[in-house]
Amino acid sequence: MARDRNRTDKPGKGVTRRGFLGTVGAGAVAAVTGLPRPGEAVPEITEPKGMVETALSINGRMHRLLVEPRWTLLFVLREQMGITGTKIGCARGECGACTVLMDGSPRYACMTLALEAQGHEITTVEGLMDGEELGDVQQAFVEEDAFQCGYCTAGQVVAAQGLLAANPSPTVDEIRAGMAGNLCRCGAYVHIFRAVERAAKGRGKGGGR
Amino acid sequence: MLPKFTYSRPGSLVQVANLAARPGTRVHAGGTDLLGCLRDGVFGAESLVSLSGLSDLRGVTPTSGGGLRIGALTTIAEIAANDAISDRYPALAQAAASVASPQLRNQGTIGGNLCQKPRCWYYRGDFHCLRKGGDTCYAFDGENQYHCILGGDGCYIVHPSDTAPALAALGARVTAVSAGGRRTIAVEKLHVPPSTDPQRETALEPGEILTEVILPPPPSGLRSSYRKIRERASWDFAVVGVALALVFDGHTVTTANIFLSGAAPVPWRARQAEEVLNGSNLDGATVERAAHAAVADAEPLAHNAYKVPLFAGLIKEQLTTLGGGT
Amino acid sequence: MTRRDSYWAEGPLPETPSPQSSPAPWGTTRVVGTRRPRIDAYERVSGTAVYPSDVVLPGMLYGAILRCPHAHALVKRVDASRAEGMPGVRAVMTGRSKVADLDWPYSRRDHSKLFDPHCRHEGEAVAAVAADTPQQAADALRAIQVDYEVLPFVADERDAVAAGAPKIRDGGNLAGEPEVSERGDVAKGFAEADVVLERSYRCAYEIHAPMECHGCVARWDGNRLTVWESTQGVFRIQATLAGMLHLPLTDVRVIGHYMGGGFGSKLQAGKYTVIASLLARVTARPVKLFLSRQETMLCVGNRPGAEIRLKAGVKKDGTLTAFELSSLTSPGAYEVGAGLLDWLARDLYTCPNVRTESRVAFINAGPARPMRAPGHPQGAWALEQMIDELAEAIQMDPVELRLRNVPKVSQARGGKPYTSTGLARCLEEGAKAFGWSEARKKQQQNGRYRRGVGSAACLWIAGGGGPPSTVIVKLFADGSVNLNMGASDIGTGTKSVMAMVVSEELGVNPDQIRVENADTATTQFATPSGGSKTVPTESPAVRDAAIAVKKQLLALVAEEKGWDPADLELDGQAVVSRTDPQRRLPFAEISRLQRQRVIVGVGYRGPNPEDAVVNPFAAQFCEVEVDTNTGEVRVLRFLGAHDSGRVLNRLTYDNQVFGGITMGIGFGLTEERVLDRRQTGKMLNANLHSYRMPTALDVPADMVSLPIELGDTECNTTGAKGLGEPVTIPTAAAIANAVHDAVGVRVTDTPITPSRLIGLLAVAHKEG
Ligand SMILES: Cc1cc2nc3c(=O)[nH]c(=O)nc-3n(C[C@@H](O)[C@@H](O)[C@H](O)COP(=O)(O)OP(=O)(O)OC[C@H]3O[C@@H](n4cnc5c(N)ncnc54)[C@H](O)[C@@H]3O)c2cc1C
Ligand code: FES
Ligand code: FES
Repeated sequence: MARDRNRTDKPGKGVTRRGFLGTVGAGAVAAVTGLPRPGEAVPEITEPKGMVETALSINGRMHRLLVEPRWTLLFVLREQMGITGTKIGCARGECGACTVLMDGSPRYACMTLALEAQGHEITTVEGLMDGEELGDVQQAFVEEDAFQCGYCTAGQVVAAQGLLAANPSPTVDEIRAGMAGNLCRCGAYVHIFRAVERAAKGRGKGGGR
Repeated sequence: MLPKFTYSRPGSLVQVANLAARPGTRVHAGGTDLLGCLRDGVFGAESLVSLSGLSDLRGVTPTSGGGLRIGALTTIAEIAANDAISDRYPALAQAAASVASPQLRNQGTIGGNLCQKPRCWYYRGDFHCLRKGGDTCYAFDGENQYHCILGGDGCYIVHPSDTAPALAALGARVTAVSAGGRRTIAVEKLHVPPSTDPQRETALEPGEILTEVILPPPPSGLRSSYRKIRERASWDFAVVGVALALVFDGHTVTTANIFLSGAAPVPWRARQAEEVLNGSNLDGATVERAAHAAVADAEPLAHNAYKVPLFAGLIKEQLTTLGGGT
Repeated sequence: MTRRDSYWAEGPLPETPSPQSSPAPWGTTRVVGTRRPRIDAYERVSGTAVYPSDVVLPGMLYGAILRCPHAHALVKRVDASRAEGMPGVRAVMTGRSKVADLDWPYSRRDHSKLFDPHCRHEGEAVAAVAADTPQQAADALRAIQVDYEVLPFVADERDAVAAGAPKIRDGGNLAGEPEVSERGDVAKGFAEADVVLERSYRCAYEIHAPMECHGCVARWDGNRLTVWESTQGVFRIQATLAGMLHLPLTDVRVIGHYMGGGFGSKLQAGKYTVIASLLARVTARPVKLFLSRQETMLCVGNRPGAEIRLKAGVKKDGTLTAFELSSLTSPGAYEVGAGLLDWLARDLYTCPNVRTESRVAFINAGPARPMRAPGHPQGAWALEQMIDELAEAIQMDPVELRLRNVPKVSQARGGKPYTSTGLARCLEEGAKAFGWSEARKKQQQNGRYRRGVGSAACLWIAGGGGPPSTVIVKLFADGSVNLNMGASDIGTGTKSVMAMVVSEELGVNPDQIRVENADTATTQFATPSGGSKTVPTESPAVRDAAIAVKKQLLALVAEEKGWDPADLELDGQAVVSRTDPQRRLPFAEISRLQRQRVIVGVGYRGPNPEDAVVNPFAAQFCEVEVDTNTGEVRVLRFLGAHDSGRVLNRLTYDNQVFGGITMGIGFGLTEERVLDRRQTGKMLNANLHSYRMPTALDVPADMVSLPIELGDTECNTTGAKGLGEPVTIPTAAAIANAVHDAVGVRVTDTPITPSRLIGLLAVAHKEG
């Protein structure tokens, strides 16, 4: 084995094997723009540079918007639609502040292109409310004081909501594992565990939504 | 911030393959690795072609031969939670459960997991290193505590995937489809060592789409496991990890497959350890010998010699656990 | 001392009038001390709280900063011409832009330019843009061409002081002469000792990494500037902006109602604050400029790492005879302060002979900022491990050794007494509640997993609070209350605690109290929330203001009804007599109040006692399990026994304790800034993935908070001392002590990762 930082026989050198550095023609492949209707096969869509039309289902409402393909769901929610409950902490899938539910399961809105979210049901922390009333997980977070600065909280609440949907009566260790995709720098974890337990108990009694 | 690109989401595999073959195009599965690479300027992309219109590539189904087919778009979370997988291929279920974080497991796919880019902090940072077409590996003289101890050759990354070593140990194969046709590749052969090409991670050609993973039927007497050590209990890649697939006949190991993560630029087959185990019956002395044989050839860099005892300790532990009850 | 005591503020502080009341300490309380959810919990869990990073204004642009990619370089040429013409780009600013030709005060002692051509650390600002979208702003940054002359760098303070090191500051690599403090005679002390030990410790650099990145939104109305900033103190931001932009204070409004964590890194304005304001000025549009996570990891603060050498002597009976400590640390490239590493050695235990020598060296890395108890966790890492080793050497229980040396007075302040010292009770009652002696008496363990317990203690140099503080309480005719105070609630529950203080005095339910805070235009001056001083600073002023309201109200009623004011008190929205149960007048029936509609009370913070020191004390206990095959450490449980004076809200109090322990677990087990020390000096883990903060799986669910309340009547009128910082000081040391108890290995360097521990275990195995 050659123990050297500089390889002498470097087959890849100078070759852009993947060709991505080469010039690229932006020519179109049979373009059918538009959105899949329910029940219809997904048509081929090729989007030109610039803005494209999309429709996103957020908290039970369809929103028709123009987006750039590179816009993330998080950016569209926060900066385009002003739905700012969902927070941004890293934009790299490394903190959980942007957690939303997609078809009921938690994922990071910062790692989700807005165009990839079309056709799915997106729920943000705002979507857990019943009018001005807090949802049961939110209420449990209030009662257990499961936050400090509150910046990670929307993500935590949404992750907890997803966790309880999948596992209505988690053990403490299951809660810890289920909440392991959400950082809290204030370190409110212990209270977060208690809040999730409290919400689960409430649901057990038929109290939850 | 992401650079500009165009986006398409075709409904057929042929269209995907055609588009993906165009220069400057990248395939988007779950996007969890791709978007990070684009943001950090690890590579560029003129256009993305999304796989998410291909619903055929999703899900776990039995094969006629008694194995399992896992569609490339099956999420890591689905794999971790799949009963057939946890019952018959626990190494894969355990590997999947140890990937990243819950949200990333809900989003990341098995295809993307096998094709992800390495996590070397020079490669991911703004260093024009060998793997990015430069002429030096910064890790060699730099902060190499998380780099490889085996198989480094000009480039000293470790392969980041948790599922790859598990799949390799289980003898899985992948199917790759391109406009030109289809081929199957053993997971063991999927990843390209730097000695072959330091700028490439997989054997897939541009435009080749990984469509499925095929697990062979588990031989009777198969026991398997995957465990990784990390410095933080969530999100962390393997500092060191080991996938074991041992076939037992009574107390005797008839076939041992051992693949290491966190050891080398590709999932690393620990052949010497396998040789120690084949035909043995996992007594304390054998376990000890196998554990050390696995890292006998290790050539640590300045800051990662700890990996040698760590691998030995982990392999010992996992062999003892798997051997329990024989 | 005073400069160090008040790292949260620079420059002269306003004096406020004396409080109007000097109330006796509360006896039994109705509200204070109970467990109450926060008064702003709804906003925080519903997503309706508007954090600065949530602000979206009509016509708003997005700002972004181009940063130097080198650890040390000179900017030779900036060509922004391509960027200027790009779609959506509204402004490009460089060091040559006239408006941006400003001095940047890193501290009172050290300045550079806003866009300084001499870049002394990776991430220094080189240019900035504003564009319609953040993506366009990023595209524009990519299009700016900069020629750099790359200079030799130093990335580690040990390299900075090594012979032949490149000189990175004109005055040399050392920030001044070593600071020496000395009492008694250490040589004599070591001669008297039965055991003398000498050890070296190393702490890694930590990053604050609050979940909300640093940044602001700036908007001009003519010559008036409004800034929404994620900050611990709006008034300090206001002062910086007014000073740098030559604006009257009244024309700079800074709003920081909510903020997503700071831990000391948001005590002051950033270059980004000024840059956003300038971009907004030149574009005549609001500008939002929030840093990326990577930028925050590089530029806006860290807890300095340190080399600490500690020599200690003890007699067989547990008497400490001498400490000698020398330390080397770095504030980064600028003189922004990096001290207090030695404070615990000087003040935590009775010891007649102490000498400390602190050296501070520059390196080419981002400036340090005070981080949650600056210097103390590092100092505790050394001192509290040393105490354990000394105890072992004289075969004494380490808790017992600490108890023998509990100080009566502050030795580092010439023997001034503390107003209260809960250290002994923290140790005794903490040990009891934890089950310390039973846990220590465990069986000899031979298996793969070994358990161990550890303890560590601390005090915090500050935490007494003090003037200035002005607070206004308004009681409305319907009995609801508005509390107006300038202080930020950085997540510690300040608003809720203060509402409880008002409630205690006025008998109004805390839910009927709204707090208006952290807005320079509408609230009273306050120092930034930091130094664990917010509760002890603000709560006496709040109490004073509430009492002022109460007095007026009782006087109204006394006059209206001809009752004796001394016999009256407030209870449940009514004025009642202490002696005559028949006399009860609901607020709604107080005609003067109904006509007046509001009673306004102003409260002030009086000075702390002059001849005594107000410090919080603590002891923490933990149990860990070590996997001897792999060096993995699992923290099983933690207990924090804290003397922070009176507990005002038990729920938020416990939350602080657990949060501090959590951060301490990060310091002890996972966190470490990594620079490319040998090749480029660049930071390699400027993200939240390879810079590892504890997750839900890294902290135990089993945490106990044990408040130790001594009833300190001297410190201030609410009896509260600071809590936010002591909670994180002893944690890492307690873990290290527990690891040693489990496997017999001393880990002298943070963090205790499996990679580090497995190496030490292998060595111990060979030797053992
Ligand atoms: C913070 C963080 C932590 C992580 N931790 C872990 C970890 O601990 N262990 C681990 O194993 N992984 C980890 N990952 C990597 C994670 O991205 C993968 O686990 C995930 O499975 C990738 O799947 P994806 O579908 O999102 O891939 P994508 O990002 O969509 O794709 C990844 C790459 O593969 C290519 N690709 C994807 N699918 C195909 C296909 N079917 N055919 C051909 N090419 C394809 C893409 O073009 C791209 O280059 C982590 C990622 C992040 C961001
Ligand atoms: S902002 Fe999405 S995970 Fe951090
Ligand atoms: S509450 Fe502040 S980060 Fe979680």
